[in-house]
Amino acid sequence: MALVNPRDKKDEDRDDETEYSPFFGIEKGAVLQEARVFNDPQLDTRRCQQVITKLLYLLNQGESFTKTEATEVFFATTKLFQSKDIALRRMVYLMIKEITPSADEVIIVTSSLMKDMNSKTDLYRANAIRVLCRIIDGGLLGQIERYLKQAVVDKNPIVASAALVSGIHLLKNNPEIVKRWSNEVQEAVNSKAPLVQFHALALLHQIRQNDRLAVSKLVTSLTRGNVRSPLAQCLLIRYTVQVIHEASGISSSGGERPFYEFLEGCLRHKAEMVIFEAARAITQLEGVTSRELTPAITVLQLFLSSSKPVLRFAAVRTLNKVAMTHPLAVTNCNIDMESLISDQNRSIATLAITTLLKTGNESSVDRLMKQITNFMSDIADEFKITVVEAIRSLCLKFPQKYRTLMNFLSNILREEGGFEYKKAIVDSILILIREIPDAKESGLSHLCEFIEDCEFTYLSTQILHLLGNEGPKTADPSKYIRYIYNRVILENATVRASAVSALAKFGAMVDFLQPRIMVLLRRCLHDNDDEVRDRATLYLQVLGDTKDIAPDGAAAFLSETLNVPLANLEASLKAYEPSEKPFNIAAVSKEAKPLTIAEKKKEKKAQREAAATGAHANGVAPAVSTSSYENLLNAIPEFASIGKLFKSSKPVQLTEEETEYAVNVVKHTYPAHVVFQFNATNTIQEQLLENVEVVMDTSLADEFEEVASIPLKSLPYGSPGQTFVLLAKPEGAVALGKFGNVLKFKVKEVDPASGEPDEEGYEDEYALEDVEVTIGDYIQRTSVSNFRNSWEALDPGLEKVDEYGLGPRESLQEAVKAVINTLGMQPVEGTDQVPSNARSHTALLAGTFIGNVPVLARLSFGIDAQKQVAMKLAVRSEDESVSELIQDIIASS
Amino acid sequence: MGLFRRFLRALGLGPEKVGVLIVGLDNSGKSTLLNRLRPKKARTADVVPTIGFQVESFLKHGIQFTAFDMSGAGRYRSLWEAYFKDAQAVIFVIDATDLVRMCVAKDELELMLRHPDLRKVPFLFYANKSDVPKCWTALQCAQALQLDENKDKPWNILASNALTGEGVEEGIDWLAEMIKSKPTN
Repeated sequence: MALVNPRDKKDEDRDDETEYSPFFGIEKGAVLQEARVFNDPQLDTRRCQQVITKLLYLLNQGESFTKTEATEVFFATTKLFQSKDIALRRMVYLMIKEITPSADEVIIVTSSLMKDMNSKTDLYRANAIRVLCRIIDGGLLGQIERYLKQAVVDKNPIVASAALVSGIHLLKNNPEIVKRWSNEVQEAVNSKAPLVQFHALALLHQIRQNDRLAVSKLVTSLTRGNVRSPLAQCLLIRYTVQVIHEASGISSSGGERPFYEFLEGCLRHKAEMVIFEAARAITQLEGVTSRELTPAITVLQLFLSSSKPVLRFAAVRTLNKVAMTHPLAVTNCNIDMESLISDQNRSIATLAITTLLKTGNESSVDRLMKQITNFMSDIADEFKITVVEAIRSLCLKFPQKYRTLMNFLSNILREEGGFEYKKAIVDSILILIREIPDAKESGLSHLCEFIEDCEFTYLSTQILHLLGNEGPKTADPSKYIRYIYNRVILENATVRASAVSALAKFGAMVDFLQPRIMVLLRRCLHDNDDEVRDRATLYLQVLGDTKDIAPDGAAAFLSETLNVPLANLEASLKAYEPSEKPFNIAAVSKEAKPLTIAEKKKEKKAQREAAATGAHANGVAPAVSTSSYENLLNAIPEFASIGKLFKSSKPVQLTEEETEYAVNVVKHTYPAHVVFQFNATNTIQEQLLENVEVVMDTSLADEFEEVASIPLKSLPYGSPGQTFVLLAKPEGAVALGKFGNVLKFKVKEVDPASGEPDEEGYEDEYALEDVEVTIGDYIQRTSVSNFRNSWEALDPGLEKVDEYGLGPRESLQEAVKAVINTLGMQPVEGTDQVPSNARSHTALLAGTFIGNVPVLARLSFGIDAQKQVAMKLAVRSEDESVSELIQDIIASS
Repeated sequence: MGLFRRFLRALGLGPEKVGVLIVGLDNSGKSTLLNRLRPKKARTADVVPTIGFQVESFLKHGIQFTAFDMSGAGRYRSLWEAYFKDAQAVIFVIDATDLVRMCVAKDELELMLRHPDLRKVPFLFYANKSDVPKCWTALQCAQALQLDENKDKPWNILASNALTGEGVEEGIDWLAEMIKSKPTN
């Protein structure tokens, strides 16, 4: 009895919870047994449907069938074609589609499906088309193409939709066939049925997506006519945005934006879906003005008070994004959003809060914080993180309010939460401490309290490190010692070790604490972890058990950090060859590269850049960072002996966009050589290029001499390839020149059907634009931590000053950007950003000239009412001639 | 349920359903034969080579026949086997004019006769295309395929012309009789 009771109870519990899922306890073996009913001469259609449902359920749960099992089920299913039951037939279609028979089995159902495709029942026709297109191979597709074409313009919307959707799927593998349907699809776009119109538009766009002009034409014609289906209208809005985006890439803004009127018109559409899509499209336009934004915001504001949660969510999410770029535009909606804070749906509430935090003014902060505190406890961690991030940016915006915000952060820090959440809070506090000096003391004490009861080793060590750096500089450093030493007693080895390091920093920087710290450190000598003991011993030595090292030295030793990004250091050390010359850490580029930050992000950025510069869709993916170039170049044996890469330029386009072959060049500067890397893309599908090389004409540049050329073996359609030319120049010299280029290659025609290239090919060439080696190629971007100190350190006697008139410019920002780009130097201290409406600006630039000569430049700009820009350029470097060269760059351009 | 159904059948209600497999080498006239069995209105003028299989059903002598018309092309013959399990009868169509490939037909047939799923199943042979002058007679075909060695199952061979329907009906009559006389298991 005692044994039975608990189980009974459990069963009852389960019954209450699951409410009898129809799929409860389905098991593969049993279902496969049941599938035998398909073979029964007296078919029980209802039962067959149930079994198929179970099989589909299994397949969708990720259950995999072995080859024999799948074959058996497939053949059993095909026998169900004998039944005339419509419901069962539908399940049969689904089953065949899901089980995706292997190529030699597909054939068995082809006939049956073709028969259904021409049957009188529309339902059969639509479904048969879908299934057939899913499983058929290219060879047989030709046979049924005629029927599919007819189906596209069928009277019945279900059939037409099915054919169109199948077309979208087929386009991936058999683009030629689908492209032949263009006329029929065009006709379907004008169909009366909403869904057909939607699918037809999607297919038409897919067919033409590689042809920008055609897409533009499509959008132009459709925006004028009336698209009835709301879904199609949404799609059209998206395509319009795409066209606008591409158009703005070519002709930079100014004047009326094309299609804006269409988007605005959509804001008055009947369907909410369309209204929202249009509003979202407007808010996402590049460089949208507040005048353009206003109607969209008004519409979104109406949505905020809608009764449908999904509309409220969509609106508040869009507003949230707008708030990042145009906080002022969103302020109108603040009142509506405040009422959303108490919304039932937590996602909406969180978004409302964070938007309010972004747009709110100083006076409303206190009130908002009170409201947030109320609902913080009942939202999930991810939302909490969003809130924390919003608060961080708010605090940076209103530094005076740090007390309220810091208190709030420390309060939520003490509450329950996962690692990510706690990490977000700690990160926020760290940033606030760094950015707002007043907040430092209170922030540190909050963190001290937190580590007293912190279960995350990573966060503890991070905080201890910060305490070690910042603690000694505060008014009362001794109060932190207690917290830190507590860690030595209570925590695990990793935390103990970092606590010891933190203690040592106090000892080194605060003289009156040193004896006490020594006592504490000596206690750590008996720790049972190696690392902790080692650190304690090291610090005791440094802090003056021996008197060799001056106390200043100790402080410097303990607090000095490597001011070079680790990735760059690693790359330089790898490039360093053992020789007489010692490794020079100053030569390591200090430019932080986004190498360690998620690789994905970089790729995305690269793609966006590619899109922005209007590069071809499958065009050259710009590999941006120097060290990735370095890896590429080092892999080529011809370039192994020419020394260390000094600088890689940005890619320069050598062809018009959208030509047969897209080529851009990257110049790599070495001490005695220049390597030209030509990135070529073949945009003609029917051609395969072989032995691609660039022939450079060096007749206009005397100092250069061609050493080697590395041709590209083959360049198939769509995937970019590289070919290189290596030129020699006098070592260390600043050789300049201009080169004419011709792309030479052998063309082989490719059969589009088979993808096999012809045997025979012919030689051809293609003229490229000229490449120029400028002084900018000899200047590396480096950054200095303190411009003023570095500037003072250089001899003022070697300074070169000159003044230039830059002529009329659109804005000061544009002039500054142009000059910085010409010089190829690194702007420091954020001086490349000009405050709007400023009449004058000073930009500070730093760089390293070839031969490791540091160069600093100070640019003073002024703009008058006629938009005439004048500039004063002061250059300092150790070598007068270098300063002169820099002046020459501006003088000559 | 068996009882109820047998009761219905005894009263002549509710047609019995029978699965029939139609096989044979390619171009022997299976689909044409089947076309002949359809109601007059549903017949098609031209018959194209079958890919995979086609399902047809027709009513004869109170029996609902569901015919699986299998493609005879060489590469699909291995697929026949998947349909043996639910066949209550087999119609094997022989091209009586294709003397060269008679041995191929014999090989395929032997494989089928040996199959355990088809042990008790009646076989109906059509020596098709009897209208062509130089064709073999049914007897010649039976000898060539050594049909008389079959002792354990009922079989019958008829000369037929699927284009005109000559001989087809008689075969189906015989098949219906065999199925009716067979004790239900």
